[in-house]
Amino acid sequence: MSADALTRLTIAEAAEMLRRRALSPVELTRACLARIRREDGDRRAFITVLDEQALAAAAAAEQEIAAGRYRGPLHGVPIALKDLVMTRGVRTTCGSRILKDWIPEADATVAVRLAEAGAILLGKLNMHEFAYGPTGVNPHYGTPRNPWDGTRMPGGSSSGSGVAVAAGLVPGALGTDTGGSVRIPAALCGIVGLKPTYGRVSRAGVIPLAWSLDHVGPMTRTVADAALLLQVLAGRDPADPSTADGPVPDYGRALPGEVRGLRLGLLTEYFFAHLEAEVRKAVLAAARSLQALGASVEEVALPGIHHAGPASFAIIASEATAYHEPYLKSRAAEYGADVRARLTTGQFVLATQYLKAQRARQLLRAEVDAALGRVDALLFPTTPIPAPRLEAREATVEGLTEDVRWWLIRCTRPINVTGHPALSVPCGLTTDGLPIGLQIVGRYFDEATLFRIGHALETTSPLRGRRPPGVA
Amino acid sequence: MTAIPIQLLQAISQGLSQIPATPEDLAVAAAQLTAQAAGLARLDELDLLTVEPATMLLPPREASRVR
Repeated sequence: MSADALTRLTIAEAAEMLRRRALSPVELTRACLARIRREDGDRRAFITVLDEQALAAAAAAEQEIAAGRYRGPLHGVPIALKDLVMTRGVRTTCGSRILKDWIPEADATVAVRLAEAGAILLGKLNMHEFAYGPTGVNPHYGTPRNPWDGTRMPGGSSSGSGVAVAAGLVPGALGTDTGGSVRIPAALCGIVGLKPTYGRVSRAGVIPLAWSLDHVGPMTRTVADAALLLQVLAGRDPADPSTADGPVPDYGRALPGEVRGLRLGLLTEYFFAHLEAEVRKAVLAAARSLQALGASVEEVALPGIHHAGPASFAIIASEATAYHEPYLKSRAAEYGADVRARLTTGQFVLATQYLKAQRARQLLRAEVDAALGRVDALLFPTTPIPAPRLEAREATVEGLTEDVRWWLIRCTRPINVTGHPALSVPCGLTTDGLPIGLQIVGRYFDEATLFRIGHALETTSPLRGRRPPGVA
Repeated sequence: MTAIPIQLLQAISQGLSQIPATPEDLAVAAAQLTAQAAGLARLDELDLLTVEPATMLLPPREASRVR
């Protein structure tokens, strides 16, 4: 198998070969590193590449597997982390100038769990500065190029994660999601992204944007790979008191799963109110595909969900500015202009607005819970528009002109406010060849049902087997 | 919705929050706050007194480690 072919393997495919010793972790890691060296000068997905460390870890994994100490499906598999996940001895920049030389003394819990599972840390990924923006544009480390069209935004804030996975630089990555930052780049780059239930995955050692809305989640090329990563990441962590105590299910049992008999709710009104025509067509076609596979689809309304946007604004602005205040007072000039302006805004949000927003969350959670009492999962677009051009500031959809950032987070941020799990899966391509994402939202801690639905959709997806142009 | 004056934000920034801000950033802040004001006011349409504040507010520990 050629080196490029190795980089196209999914995690599940690579794992099977590694387990049978038909593939060496060193060979796989070398193939990914070679591709990064060859292509990432233009793609700008990585901030730090860990050549020597990765090869040493791969060699150790190879010896362990050869000695019969196979740890599981991530053993020997290269993975990369968004550069706000703390890594001991490896700089963690948060995509900023402010932390450009910061080397943590400890690992984040998610980094520890991946290492314990035998994953090979390939490097740290580019991102919107301090995760505070959905476009992925970064003035300090360059903007990662969307593999489907380099003149388009990759989406953010986990932009490097989306680009690296879509371009074949690494089979899987971690992102974080406060208003859509896993799901937006997943949708714009044509890959799978999961925002797990709030409390499912530890955030200890992950630099916060807004800690009551932050989630860590996997970004992969397939739903099965997202399930493999979640299996390792999920579970109680004493270092993050928000993590849940409950048992972690065997997500592999959900795959391949039947969707026959599942009841799905198509969220109309807010989520379909303003959509680009090709997005609407692709999402409705995906719903029909699931119907053809035996699921029933009905329209569901969430009449209060329009309150989620203002609530999200008040919470993110307040928490982010509270976290960044020391830097704003001492090193404000080192922020990029867009992030500094947004952090400046946060000091003017009233405490009463913040607390009302937190209380509103309870009502919005109850509304989504009630809808999920009638159906097993909810369907709607991940983003109302495909990847905008890099220079775009506004977009007009069905007569409504708004800031591009507003469009990108419109359909994702409500689910950070409620904390339900949300999976973005590719469901189509525009006539310009840009990916479209479908969002599937489920009950608390029921990621397994999302995997079933997402996996079923993959089997009928127009993107099945498609790679971005120029990705060999 | 009435636009929020930049001078007001300047006074709050200097006298209350004590976070320095440039006129350009204050102009962006004024625009953002004005754009969000109506939506934030509409939170009052919800029956907020029937619920406890959300309790998902715990700051993660790395906040102290980074500095």
